[in-house]
Amino acid sequence: MSPLQLFLQQLANGLTLGAIYALIALGYTMVYGVVQLINFAHGEIFMVGAYLALTVALVVTGAPWWLTLTLCGLGAMALCGGLGWMIERAAYRPIRAAPRLNALITAIGMSFVLQNVVMLLYGATDRRFPALWPAIRWQWGGVTVTLTQVLVWGTAALLMVGLQWLVMRTRLGIAMRATSQDLRACALLGIPVNRIIAMTFALGSALAAVGGMLFGGYYGTINFHDGYLTGLKAFTAAVLGGIGNIPGAMVGGIVLGLLEGLGAGYLSSQWKNVFAFVILVLLLLCKPTGLLGERVADRA
Amino acid sequence: MRKNPKRGSAWHFLFVLLWAAAGCGRGESPVVKIGFVAPLTGDQAPHGEDMLQGARMAIAHALAEDPVIPGHRLELAPLDDQRNPTQAVAAAKKLVADPDVVAVVGHLNSSCTMPASAIYHQARMLQITPISSNPQISRQGFDTFYRTCVTDDLQGPAAALFAVRKLGAKRIFILDDMTTYGRGLANEFEKKMGAIRRATGYSKDESTADMGVIIDNRPEILGHEGITQGDKDFTAILTKIKSLNPDLLYFAGMFPEGALLIKQRKDVGLDATFMGGDGLFDPVLIDLATPEAAEGVYLTTIGSDIHRIPTARAFVAEYERTFGPIGAYSAYAYEATSIAIWAIRKAGAKDRQAVLAAMKTLKDYPGLFGPQNFDEKGDSLIRDVGIFTVRTGKFQFVRTASWE
Repeated sequence: MSPLQLFLQQLANGLTLGAIYALIALGYTMVYGVVQLINFAHGEIFMVGAYLALTVALVVTGAPWWLTLTLCGLGAMALCGGLGWMIERAAYRPIRAAPRLNALITAIGMSFVLQNVVMLLYGATDRRFPALWPAIRWQWGGVTVTLTQVLVWGTAALLMVGLQWLVMRTRLGIAMRATSQDLRACALLGIPVNRIIAMTFALGSALAAVGGMLFGGYYGTINFHDGYLTGLKAFTAAVLGGIGNIPGAMVGGIVLGLLEGLGAGYLSSQWKNVFAFVILVLLLLCKPTGLLGERVADRA
Repeated sequence: MRKNPKRGSAWHFLFVLLWAAAGCGRGESPVVKIGFVAPLTGDQAPHGEDMLQGARMAIAHALAEDPVIPGHRLELAPLDDQRNPTQAVAAAKKLVADPDVVAVVGHLNSSCTMPASAIYHQARMLQITPISSNPQISRQGFDTFYRTCVTDDLQGPAAALFAVRKLGAKRIFILDDMTTYGRGLANEFEKKMGAIRRATGYSKDESTADMGVIIDNRPEILGHEGITQGDKDFTAILTKIKSLNPDLLYFAGMFPEGALLIKQRKDVGLDATFMGGDGLFDPVLIDLATPEAAEGVYLTTIGSDIHRIPTARAFVAEYERTFGPIGAYSAYAYEATSIAIWAIRKAGAKDRQAVLAAMKTLKDYPGLFGPQNFDEKGDSLIRDVGIFTVRTGKFQFVRTASWE
């Protein structure tokens, strides 16, 4: 392997990890943008998404792989979206007027609830995630790319473009952006603020569910505490990109994935997190609002 | 407002009465307990469950005989340490504080057994670990510590010799999971590789001997790195390893990470032989890694193939009838629990000090693996390292290995 091939291969590895981070980071950033809440239960929603996709895959047997995959994706998205909507309705809406710390503590509590429910339902041990797509590998000039990686990149890119279109071009997107600017003024203008906020939670959760399904299929095993570390990394990615900013979450996720991949590949795998987070701290020191962050001071 | 002192004392009297009544209800026959600690939840729970079933069977066998201490009921007190050293210490403190517990079987992970052993030693409580194999634990000089398995200063060298002699490994990369067990085993493996390298020389290439071409026959260590337990993505480090072009990848760690490494090495196209230690010896490894990727993986175990030991035949048959296929560590937990029961029976009293004294008189205990004896550090003198490989989705015994 030449140094260039090695570099390209590490880039491909990091990009895959980064795309998954980005899908989860979108949920953090959307919710923060609209209600200024750091939804710490979001990592757990991602993990629930992986388990829901697993459940659908176990129910649907005998179908061709692309059909199973589509059904798993849509099923997990729908169920997780519903879960996100329910969590907002039951746990966050009643305390929206309360100080922000209350909502933060509720979010942490929610994440414990989800973890333990999944542990009780599916058991505490690692579960094998069935192969949802065939194991195909391509060699391009010494660089190996798997169908898994192509699927992760393709799905992530498609969903991000779709989300960007939804937020910038549709009535729902316009209402979401308006709500994020001034909740009370929107309510006065007759925008159904509660529904918009619930939709934001549902949308973010559905994206996390896709992330969960890809995560399960990529690594082949899932566990009830997988949401914690991955969620934390995705939150970091959202901050890195500038929290509240949708393209920022995508960029942040990919940058973090690349940093980890290159850190493990060129420095040392035991120091990869240290490397990634040192870079992160340096970046935020120079640019406190994140890579694509807007000025958030005048919003509070 | 002043409280009525009379009423207060009446409540107090009633409370004491109730408390005494509750105590009497439970205490009809006093209990003597053997503590048991292993990860019973989390990713390593399959190993812990295997051990718990082995320990339960030993207790059931003892209950079928005379009471271990006349008038006392024998019980197992299982606790979960989640493979986490902090939880392990908490569990140890809990057992030590319970006056009914006179001996403990555990823990699974060396990183848990190590800090816990100090607590048992302080409480003068007999501890028998079925399978924590890090040699440093018994070198602490705790006379309360015993173990029924081979240590990693034998397992590591045995793996190194097998890799060089039988697998013909020349270019070797070492990975470990940075735990007491993983790093310790990997260091023993690396140390032995260094010794082999110093002992092996150069040889002339037969075909070009007259041209004076010298071939370097010595095995070479290309690198030694750590991964984090609980991590999922190892493609970056595996890609780096692939670029160094090794013919053997040795991993000292547990099966959840082992399975991911085995699977992901195929994804990045790393074709080197994969070899590991006893932490990988669980059928779950093959399931999580997929049988295709696990094919041809080699691993060492702390003991020979349990199915081939004549003295264990009856135990294996009964275990598989009761619980299904026998786990990697079930027999060791059974052995450790049985020995603890033997010591309590010998002591004949619910007294930690007496149990410990009885344990020191153990000689030629008729165990599963043959006559069981311990050296002055508390390590078992039955020292077999087995080699297994994965064939068509199953572990297959290859041979017992030597470490010299």
